[in-house]
Amino acid sequence: MNDFILSSLIFTPLLAALIVLLLPMRFQNTIKAVALGGALVQMVLAILLYFRFDGTAAANGQSGYQFVNKLDWIGFSLGSLGRFQIEYFVGVDGISISMVLLTGIVGVIGVISSWTIKKNIKGYFLLYLLLLTSVMGCFLALDFFLFYLFFEFMLLPMYFLIGIWGGPKREYAAIKFFIYTLVGSLFILIVMIGLYTSVIDPEATAAQLGMLQDGVANSDVILQVQQLLQQNVIEGANIVRTFSIPAMMDPANFIPGSLLHVLSGTVLWDLPIRFIAFLLLFVGFAIKVPSVPVHTWLPDAHVEAPTPISVLLAAILLKVGGYGLIRIVYPIFPDGGAYFSVLVGGLGVLSIIYGALCALAMNDLKKLIAYSSVSHMGFVLLGLASLTSEGVNGAIYMMFSHGIISAMLFLVVGVIYDRAHDRMILNFRGLAKRMPAYTTFVVIAFFASLGLPGFSGFIAELLVLVGGFSAPDITGMLPRWLTIVAVFGLLLAAAYYLWALQRMFFGKYWIFPELREKAKLSDLNAREYLMLVPLAILALVFGIFPHLLLNKIGVAAQGFTELVLRNGQEQLQMVLSTIVR
Amino acid sequence: MKEQAAYLSQTIDAIIAGLGSLMPELLLASFFLLLVTLDLFKSSTIKQLLPWLALTGLFAAFVLQLLGGYTSGGVQFLSLLRSDSLARFSGVLFSAAGIFTILLSLQSKVLEKLKEGRGEYYALILVLVLGLNLMAKSVNLLMVFLAIELVSIASYILTLTLKQEKRAVEAGLKYVLYGTLSAGVMLYGMSFFYGFTGSLNYTEGTFWQALLQADTLLVTIAAILVFAGFFFKISAAPFHFWVPDVYQGAPMPIVALFSTGPKMAGVIVILRFVAAFSDPAVASYFDDVLLFLGIAALLTLAVGNFTALLQKTPRRLMAYSSVSHAGFLLMALLAFGTNYTVSVLFYLTVLLFMNYGTFLFLQITEEKFGTHKLEHFTGLGYKLPFMGVMAVLFLLSLTGLPPLGGFMGKLLIFSNVWEAYSASGQVLLLVLLVAGALLTGVALFYYIRIPYYLFLKRNLTEEKLVISLSNKLLLAFFAVPLLVLFFKPDLLLNWIEKLLAQTL
Repeated sequence: MNDFILSSLIFTPLLAALIVLLLPMRFQNTIKAVALGGALVQMVLAILLYFRFDGTAAANGQSGYQFVNKLDWIGFSLGSLGRFQIEYFVGVDGISISMVLLTGIVGVIGVISSWTIKKNIKGYFLLYLLLLTSVMGCFLALDFFLFYLFFEFMLLPMYFLIGIWGGPKREYAAIKFFIYTLVGSLFILIVMIGLYTSVIDPEATAAQLGMLQDGVANSDVILQVQQLLQQNVIEGANIVRTFSIPAMMDPANFIPGSLLHVLSGTVLWDLPIRFIAFLLLFVGFAIKVPSVPVHTWLPDAHVEAPTPISVLLAAILLKVGGYGLIRIVYPIFPDGGAYFSVLVGGLGVLSIIYGALCALAMNDLKKLIAYSSVSHMGFVLLGLASLTSEGVNGAIYMMFSHGIISAMLFLVVGVIYDRAHDRMILNFRGLAKRMPAYTTFVVIAFFASLGLPGFSGFIAELLVLVGGFSAPDITGMLPRWLTIVAVFGLLLAAAYYLWALQRMFFGKYWIFPELREKAKLSDLNAREYLMLVPLAILALVFGIFPHLLLNKIGVAAQGFTELVLRNGQEQLQMVLSTIVR
Repeated sequence: MKEQAAYLSQTIDAIIAGLGSLMPELLLASFFLLLVTLDLFKSSTIKQLLPWLALTGLFAAFVLQLLGGYTSGGVQFLSLLRSDSLARFSGVLFSAAGIFTILLSLQSKVLEKLKEGRGEYYALILVLVLGLNLMAKSVNLLMVFLAIELVSIASYILTLTLKQEKRAVEAGLKYVLYGTLSAGVMLYGMSFFYGFTGSLNYTEGTFWQALLQADTLLVTIAAILVFAGFFFKISAAPFHFWVPDVYQGAPMPIVALFSTGPKMAGVIVILRFVAAFSDPAVASYFDDVLLFLGIAALLTLAVGNFTALLQKTPRRLMAYSSVSHAGFLLMALLAFGTNYTVSVLFYLTVLLFMNYGTFLFLQITEEKFGTHKLEHFTGLGYKLPFMGVMAVLFLLSLTGLPPLGGFMGKLLIFSNVWEAYSASGQVLLLVLLVAGALLTGVALFYYIRIPYYLFLKRNLTEEKLVISLSNKLLLAFFAVPLLVLFFKPDLLLNWIEKLLAQTL
């Protein structure tokens, strides 16, 4: 069971997708049932994993991952240049466990929300399930190639889901989404190639050198191999290159003389090549986060996507960006993280403020929420840039909390759009009179999102801000004024939410005349309760009992900060020293 | 007189000794003769048999080269040809391309209606494949020229298969004019080389040693002239102007063949030529030639990808796509010091499947719906879902997205270029790498337009249509290897590696 739980998590939706593929088009209810079944099994497995995951286990280096499953996938000899290998390597740690749980939950909510889709159901659920597989794969992959495969494979289902089932400008939004994210992932691809040509798998190299007794590598042997490597005495043909992310995190695994080695001393456009690699990766993931100024695809994609796809996009797809930064960019290039902390934090604060200002200016409720996503994801960048334990905990907590709350927000927008086929704020007034239950959930979602104490958003923002404020003293990373500016984001969030609430829901009931004929403003139905109630409960539970999640994240986040800080300072010195010379 | 007789008998002995290494070519030649002879009969049963006969010939050559063993490796045929494993593997690819061309032709309604010249058509495909084989085996400049001309002449006639159509005639004429011009230029360059070295065997060390004595500027000019001819064959910029017109005018199976066969053979010729530069002692002398090649690769990538953006017809779009792939291959050939040969051969294999798949899809839609413009694809994905999905697979593989073979091909090439940059520190390589990667984003923009019309745009009628089972099977046949080559590329890579290790 323990060996297969992660693989089952990834491949259950794929299996369901295959069943959907084989079902004839006319069995519409069966197709829906299979999709729901697939998502439900994935959720149950995710919850099971969450409870079984041991949050207290140390998470340093290779040994910190739990439920690891490692299989050979592609192995190929490069002649005198050694071998390269790609592994099916999955595992979970404190950073990914929250994302896995989130994906499981939102996946089911999304299927329920998709119940009203009418056009081409078979194709829709097929793509939906493929999307779930690839997102889950992204969060669990520990091999860079495997990660990249899932990362890129997300784009295609999403392109069709927006482009076929979306709103009036769907074609434009779909292609914009596709091109933006693809360009981002090409930056990632370049660095991935650079990394795998530079990094060895010490275990497999030891096996190649015949240093293993009984086929097991203990830490002594690995250390020995790493020393041999750094002394440059291992023959080229015996070197095994790898895509393994944990191997890339250890600077001792970099081949001396390779471009991305800390001492390579290669300079491009006046920057050490490691810094450029950091920036490329950062841009690649920042597009996905999204961070200002590469966020412009998001409002279009959100506005045009059908409700369930908006939910998925905001709740879990954006998280892949933040997750990539935490899993890949910072641990592999801690020197860049230390050097560019002001840039990353600055972009985070810019996203917070600019996103909030845009949200304030929007007349379309869905666009408002899309920009609020930009604003909230800015906190992830800020928390990460602080490199304090609180900040990183807060960043991960923010990703989880935003996942839950943004799902709720987009569902709430979907409710009014389903009924009135319109969602312009100024076209409605006094909806509270007509739809009291709906208004209650809108209020809950808005307040949760603007960071009212008692909801999960508050904990996340608090942690990030504490991290940001303590950073100058503890890690020396961010100037204090940046965090002070970020606080204004909270104020703006309150402004745009409360203003929207006041304009749309309070006052005398009124609706734009042209909408009156079509609009049937009935209150929430059972299906909508089924989606909104669990999300509201989750937002509350994780707001009141933050230790539920922090207990799982804490050790890993601590380990992450220590690793990044220690390696970061050290490697930064080394990188800069090679340049002066 | 006596000396001459002795020389003659020596030569004949050498020819007889070398014949074994030419088995696949001899096989193709005899099937060609058989086809031409049988074509003289008026009986319609015999005429019906011709494509199958051609198929048999190609298949026999395919199996022969796949199994190998007909040559003891590296045998020279009068120092003109070399039957090494590189030639053998590319021979497998050429035969496969020929087989696929005939399979596509058998599905084509346009060719079925063709009254005259069906026999010639199939016979000339055999000649073309024969020429490709010779190109890949040539180690002598004159032989290279002859082989290229053999391929070209077959190509000119095949372009004109549908001679009733105006665009076919236009395409044929343009092709001949550009072709003869570039052949002349290439020959001129080769004559320089002969003048410098007194030898035509460009794979030998003495040839390059002699060149090192000559004036750098002249050698560079001569090399560029020779490359003009090679570039014409692989449709690299700035010798790509014939490509869109020929792709517009020739029958679809022939376009598919042009987009793969001559390109693959041209790449092998360049590979053999450039391999000499990888020797550091020689390389420094040919810096300018390398710079030229690098700039040509960059130019080809840029021209191919950006011009493709502007195209409104699927055939022209694929023409510029083909140019951009030539750019990728050129870039791969510059990654000295790495095992780029393996990557190039892998990429060629992937290219074979994805191009034939795409052109089969285009042939089906063009003959059934008259899709002469991209808009004509509107809503077809809903009428023919299976074909639509297959088309998406092919086009995404051409773009280079996972989980398809096209991604693996690009990944391997990029890795080689990175490795080479890492070793040599040449900025040009880094520029190529970054440009190649970023242009993939541009490529997505034009490739995705076909799926965009297929699935995102809808038209009013949504009745379901059917395509023949043979077409479906063939589409799947081209698509499955793309998936396999992504998930288990090491199957092919290890085989190529093993093959290359045998003789080199």
